[in-house]
Amino acid sequence: MIIDIHVHTRLGPDPHGFAYLLDQAAELDVTLCVNSLTPKDGTGMPQSPSEDEVRRCNDWTAELAGAHPERIIPMWYLNPAHGDFACRELEERVAAHAGLQGVKLWVAVRCNDPRLDPIMRLCAEHKLPVLQHTWFKITGNLPGESTPMDLRELALRHPDVSFFWGHCGGDYEYGAKCARGLPNVYMDLGGGEAMSGYVEILAEHESADHIVFGSDAPGRSLVSQLAKVYGADLTEDEQEKILYRNAQALFARQEAANGAGP
Amino acid sequence: MIDANAYLGDWPFRKLRYTTHFALLEKMDALGIEQAVVSSLKNVFYKDLLAGNRQLHAEVDHHPDRFLPAYTINPRFPGWEEDLAICVSEFGMRAMRLHPNYHQFALDSAEGTTVLEAARAHGFIVIIATGMEDTRHHHPLVKVPDVPGEQVAAAVSAYPDVRFLVAAANFSGINAIWSQCAPAQNLYFEISRVQGPVGDIEKLCETMGADRVLLGTNLPLHVPEAATLAVVHARITAVERRMITSGNAARLFEL
Repeated sequence: MIIDIHVHTRLGPDPHGFAYLLDQAAELDVTLCVNSLTPKDGTGMPQSPSEDEVRRCNDWTAELAGAHPERIIPMWYLNPAHGDFACRELEERVAAHAGLQGVKLWVAVRCNDPRLDPIMRLCAEHKLPVLQHTWFKITGNLPGESTPMDLRELALRHPDVSFFWGHCGGDYEYGAKCARGLPNVYMDLGGGEAMSGYVEILAEHESADHIVFGSDAPGRSLVSQLAKVYGADLTEDEQEKILYRNAQALFARQEAANGAGP
Repeated sequence: MIDANAYLGDWPFRKLRYTTHFALLEKMDALGIEQAVVSSLKNVFYKDLLAGNRQLHAEVDHHPDRFLPAYTINPRFPGWEEDLAICVSEFGMRAMRLHPNYHQFALDSAEGTTVLEAARAHGFIVIIATGMEDTRHHHPLVKVPDVPGEQVAAAVSAYPDVRFLVAAANFSGINAIWSQCAPAQNLYFEISRVQGPVGDIEKLCETMGADRVLLGTNLPLHVPEAATLAVVHARITAVERRMITSGNAARLFEL
């Protein structure tokens, strides 16, 4: 069993990537936590989506989760710049979906922005894990793109919310140090190249208890990201924690709190 | 299996495993890789590449059945032609590795042209390392863009009798190069930094044919399982899988 906490409906122009991914997920027994950054009928990924775009993105996620309840956990995409709408959108999605679920935040607003706080309070109430994109790029970040330091601020401000630390900060060495000592964060392995020592560095600073498997598929291949775990110097117990047990435990808390779950 | 793209040695920016030939052989054995084409990782940053090439020769010389050394040449450094002659006469050089970005020469410059002429004269296989790792992770003082695809494509077209292996290009980089010089019969790609999108290996096989695609790991910088698992799980025929994992490299490098 594997839980992949970082999956998109589509990245790039290939409309067939998700179907391929679903087949491979069935073959490898992977549960996919899916978010959509692009509407089903769209092609681009607006960095600061409108309310209508957010709704259409989540409609697609809901459609896929409804069609594949045994395989997909929806991660509702929100734009914190939308204020009350973002909270209403989340409340409506949570009320309408009977199973496990979470939240995805991308690059609309840097995550230390106070506009995230109402959303975080809802996430704490419903025990929704939050996948927050982070990247520290030496080539320069997007205007609303969160750095690992931004997420550290948010995680400290909301200790009752569990965060999937998107891409481990991009530069995983930078991200690993930023996340040290935070009990409510889980380093997401998804995206980025499978660099030698990637997982070992995270395990040294965060321990395997705070690492979760993510792929960033279909932009990344599932197996290249699994290689980060299979190629790392880990015990079997550590490997299992990363591949599914840590994420499973987080979602079990949600299930216990809400009576949710497939 | 044959790994068409690996290195021996340290990297200045972080601690790595599998930097010695002992460690690399152990990892190769664990993965079922019988042979690897290796270069000096130190030579990405050394000025006098002969020093790195000598060290590489000393390391691999004990295992001629496991390693094929690809010696690194920098045509911008004085005396490179004499150094190349030493690599040929003393080390039996058959493959040449170029780092046009780290060594700051364009493939279509006077230096690039001269070194490619030398490769043609000697019948070398030319490995062009288009990048080493994600440019977004580079050290702030050492930001090195990937080698422009159009330069690679132009060199491949200008030297049809030289066989080129493009190393460590990502999926879009490979496709950009191929689209500019297809159907070049002298061009091959290895897959160490492809790593997506889903269906990547299948798409490469469809686009250029499985006979152009080689297993490569970019060890010790990358996790080699990213490449081996990609081929294992690709929806390709058994014949195509054998071509990628060993047949193409055996033919190209005459192993």
